[in-house]
Amino acid sequence: MMNCKNIREILDLYVDRELSPEATVQAETHLAECVECRNTVARLKRLGQAVKTAVSQYQPPTQLVDQVRRSTASRWRRATTWVPIAATILLLAVLALSAPQIRAAVAAELEVAAFHLDDARATVMEGKLLCRDCLLKDEYGYHAMCPTRGHHGSLETSDGKIWNILDGQASDELIHNPKLLGRTIRIHGRCFRRASSVEVDSYEVL
Amino acid sequence: MALRWTGRSKRFERDALPHLPAIYRMARQLVGTEAADDLVQETFLRAWKYFESFDSTTNCRAWLFHILRNVWISRWRKSHLELPLTETAEEQIEPYYDWEDEFLRDEMSEEIEHALSDLPADYRLTVLLADVEELTYEEIARVMECPIGTVMSRLNRGRKMLARLIRSYDQERGSSPKPETFMRRKS
Repeated sequence: MMNCKNIREILDLYVDRELSPEATVQAETHLAECVECRNTVARLKRLGQAVKTAVSQYQPPTQLVDQVRRSTASRWRRATTWVPIAATILLLAVLALSAPQIRAAVAAELEVAAFHLDDARATVMEGKLLCRDCLLKDEYGYHAMCPTRGHHGSLETSDGKIWNILDGQASDELIHNPKLLGRTIRIHGRCFRRASSVEVDSYEVL
Repeated sequence: MALRWTGRSKRFERDALPHLPAIYRMARQLVGTEAADDLVQETFLRAWKYFESFDSTTNCRAWLFHILRNVWISRWRKSHLELPLTETAEEQIEPYYDWEDEFLRDEMSEEIEHALSDLPADYRLTVLLADVEELTYEEIARVMECPIGTVMSRLNRGRKMLARLIRSYDQERGSSPKPETFMRRKS
């Protein structure tokens, strides 16, 4: 059981809510019975409140708030410089691609990447059946042997790429039947991108 | 790195900057109005610098007060002389026997501020951290880098000293200049 002497030794802890729950109950039991101690607690609380009121009336000047924000904001902007850096790199990349040599090099690299990512993939390809040798003859002056050896059917897809059709039972007609040249064909098979070749499992003439 | 900085700056804005008013009012009580702005700025610059070391599960305001105190000690306090506290006397908590009369009235801010400025700095800081900022004793001990027992004794003695000074200034108010005190102002 607390007496006046005991409680006045722990008044700060009581007012600051630092006492254990058991000690708080004991203190409050005494305070309920003792007017003098109750008044002392009230005075101590009033002192704390008066100090708080006196000190809290001051607010930082707007100028100071701005200065602190600015001094740390400059660091935030530095932290976000990756945005303009990324934009510059992108712009340089676009400009670089306008140079034919760089474009060819990039295309080759992309092709290599595509080989690794996409080779030997089961696919459905659609395109126009053309004679590869005649096409190369027309475009590059290749000495085609078609008049003596016959045409060699290949598939030109909509992206302009020419795919060799690999020999096989299902592909014989596509390669060697000149009547199919110029027709649109849908091939089901496997794509070997690295060799620009397609293996035919079946096909449809559209 | 950039993303890490961006996240850090967002956390700093969210966790630290809202405490600027509290840091300012404490700085004002430690070094006065003139130097408070510099102390606040340096505190926040140092807080930014070491923000990675801040444990977000703890009280950011208490962490900022700790930095404020360190900056104040390193930049301001060293250049001012202050009578040292006698730590052995500090450990004794005295009861409030001489504290029975009513002396607090409304509109006493001037006397209270005057009395606060005459408290030894460590007492002043401890009382303000408890009464104004409402930190726990444990948080105050971390800010002040002292044992909790020292926090308790400084609070006890600081409040009593403060009450006596307020009462004394109030009694002499209007009839004479502010009384000479035994403590130095604004360390």
